[in-house]
Amino acid sequence: MTEDTTLLVGPFNRVEGDLEIRLDVADGAVGAAYVNSPLFRGFERMLLGKGAMDALTITPRICGICSISQSMAAALALADAGRVTPAPNGARVAALLHAVENVADHVTHFNLFFMPDFARPVYADRPWHSAAVDRFTAQRGSALRASIEARAKLLHIVGLLGGKWPHTLAIQPGGVTRAPTMRDKIRIGADLRAFRRYLEDQVFGAPVEAVADLTTLDQLEAWDTGDLGLFVTIARDCGLEAMGKGEGRYMSFGAYPHPEGPIFASGVWDGGAVRPVDAGGIVEELGHSWMLGSAAHPSQGDTLPDEAMRDAAYSWCKAPRLNGQTVETGALARQIVDGHPLALALAAEGGVRARVMGRLLELAQTQIALEALLARIDPAERFMVEAAAPRDGQGAGMVEAARGALGHWCTIEGGKITGYQIIAPTTWNFSPRDDRGVAGPVEAALVGAPVRPGEDTPIAVQHIVRSFDPCMVCTVH
Amino acid sequence: MSQIETFYDVMRRQGITRRSFMKYCSLTAAALGLSPSFVPKIAHAMETKPRTPVIWVHGLECTCCSESFIRSAHPLAKDVVLSMISLDYDDTLMAAAGHQAEAALEETIEKYKGNYILAVEGNPPLNEDGMFCIIGGKPFVEQLRHAAEHAKAIISWGACASYGCVQAAKPNPTQATPVHKVITDKPIIKVPGCPPIAEVMTGVITYMLTFDRLPELDRQGRPAMFYGQRIHDKCYRRPHFDAGQFVEAWDDENARKGYCLYKMGCKGPTTYNACSTIRWNEGTSFPIQSGHGCIGCSEDGFWDQGSFYNRVTDLTQFGVEANADKVGMAAAGVVGAGVAAHAAISALKAAQKKTQSHKEEA
Repeated sequence: MTEDTTLLVGPFNRVEGDLEIRLDVADGAVGAAYVNSPLFRGFERMLLGKGAMDALTITPRICGICSISQSMAAALALADAGRVTPAPNGARVAALLHAVENVADHVTHFNLFFMPDFARPVYADRPWHSAAVDRFTAQRGSALRASIEARAKLLHIVGLLGGKWPHTLAIQPGGVTRAPTMRDKIRIGADLRAFRRYLEDQVFGAPVEAVADLTTLDQLEAWDTGDLGLFVTIARDCGLEAMGKGEGRYMSFGAYPHPEGPIFASGVWDGGAVRPVDAGGIVEELGHSWMLGSAAHPSQGDTLPDEAMRDAAYSWCKAPRLNGQTVETGALARQIVDGHPLALALAAEGGVRARVMGRLLELAQTQIALEALLARIDPAERFMVEAAAPRDGQGAGMVEAARGALGHWCTIEGGKITGYQIIAPTTWNFSPRDDRGVAGPVEAALVGAPVRPGEDTPIAVQHIVRSFDPCMVCTVH
Repeated sequence: MSQIETFYDVMRRQGITRRSFMKYCSLTAAALGLSPSFVPKIAHAMETKPRTPVIWVHGLECTCCSESFIRSAHPLAKDVVLSMISLDYDDTLMAAAGHQAEAALEETIEKYKGNYILAVEGNPPLNEDGMFCIIGGKPFVEQLRHAAEHAKAIISWGACASYGCVQAAKPNPTQATPVHKVITDKPIIKVPGCPPIAEVMTGVITYMLTFDRLPELDRQGRPAMFYGQRIHDKCYRRPHFDAGQFVEAWDDENARKGYCLYKMGCKGPTTYNACSTIRWNEGTSFPIQSGHGCIGCSEDGFWDQGSFYNRVTDLTQFGVEANADKVGMAAAGVVGAGVAAHAAISALKAAQKKTQSHKEEA
């Protein structure tokens, strides 16, 4: 079946939420792709008229896998609206909670969502296949089990500081509700050490620092230990470096703001020097979305679903653009904007391998940063400043979720929410076409993906889509 | 069904030792509030009964229930998820993709007709013919009805499936609707919470698999063993409530001393769940222990009760003024009356919620 055809791929499993992609196939490759997010819940509408502080409880429930990111963005948006600066120690604890969640997400993605595709029979003739089956068979592989256990232990930190996970309540505009005691600090240290052991024994087969110190693609190519070694081998054999190449524009809002500065810098990179993010240049366009109204900055935006589902549109997702352009966001973008030499080398590839490697690199980088962050938390200091709920004002909370840039924009009048817009990382990456017909980042990256004869869910498409780690429940919310 | 292997077979195949298996049985008995004499019964059931197929479907939701579930405390509970129970169809975790996955669902329904348990995470949005949640080109509500038709019983995981949760918050743009309002002819067990506690989830499912029947349910259809008491009844900060010692502001001196969070809007006094006993993240903590009040996420309508930081005022149901000290004394008097008091509160609450006055079908 190499003739020209149209394929409808989906529902996708092993992604968070629901996703459907229409592919126009010509000459054995994808000619055009249309990404549909078929799930709409209307969070932005429910928030209208509610008390300002209710955003802290409602928005995390957008997503059960990155709920702290939502919680963090809501707290920062409310703090911005109320002109509150969180207590320094509170900001450090919030950064710790947030980074732990992002790390847990990376572990989930690699082990449960991305790698199991290589254990599929389609690759049975490859020399690495038995190793992949052993480690990554869905629901059974030894790496999957180890990762679930390591992740559960790591999330004890969130349990301890945040009471429960998912849907932690501890993060507030003025800081956090829980002041860790010296005893807690020691327990968290032990949890971090256990996680370092997991990374070094299973994922990297080498010290975390050795991964953080990688600078060139040659060094990466030579890596042969742990699951990273297996991934490098598979990537080389399958040509993952050339698969799903993006457009080379990367954006990060900067990860984990705290008194010592963000751990990963904020900015935009498209080949030259890193520029600051022009937050005023963000516009959500609706030309191909089942949404009514006109293109707007999120501080002015509205969410009016087009119940007629007009033919010109094909997704519930809006199309966010930065100064009229698409940008890719995620761990790779964060590491590029932060200037890591390996990430910059990977930026030139910009494909499946680069995105997955961006996450693995960030696992190593974040582990080191978390250990330093914990050391600076002082149990005797304040963790929360007095902060009354904002009565009137506008605010923006811009953070980095595991999957990339997440922003909340709120307007509050008389203590009630009168405007609330959310742009999630997957909204950027999985956006539909904009008003000018320009495809979103994933739609563009899918063009040229090979379709083997007889494939109705092309394996290359699966690799490319999963390399972005979509979180579809966040996309439309 | 004799061709299906038993739980024990599956566990042995996973390399789980007899000793570990027996430990799992005793932990399960303890979690379910059963006496030690039940341990051999659970073991016997697991050794001899064919494993029960489970189909797990996702509607309008955030996947937090799955997230909670895969972090259960006992290592074997993780095997419950990953292999012991057959999650024959779970689109977040399973191996197959796309239409193959849909085919797997059909096959499972066909093969185990009348014998499988349908676990539902999330709920169907009914507005606009269900178009707000489309799976495989069809509204989720159709998949739900289809999968429910031949199910032995249905588990409604979490606040979404049980009650609607935040996506059903006013104005409920998608008309998100709990499962029991759509499926009315099957036994449904509600396991509310946002998300439910992992051990509660595995506990419920293990009970159903070992004893082949639903656990005892309360008037709202929740398993009484986990939802029979209020968070307040077993809260470690309860002595401070009774002594009239309250946190007055975040991070004040009283907060550092771990005083009661009632004045900060804690909903522990009106929330039935096991958070204060089983706790979260493998028994690490629970929201009140993190210094934030309970928001009552396992209660119907928790998302539309005014601010989450307002004090509980509907304690007048106990016939006392909403004064913390008096309530403390009154509440102390009803501890132990557990289920009866609960029924009374439920009735009153239902009467109060005029905006959500749909009658419960069950």
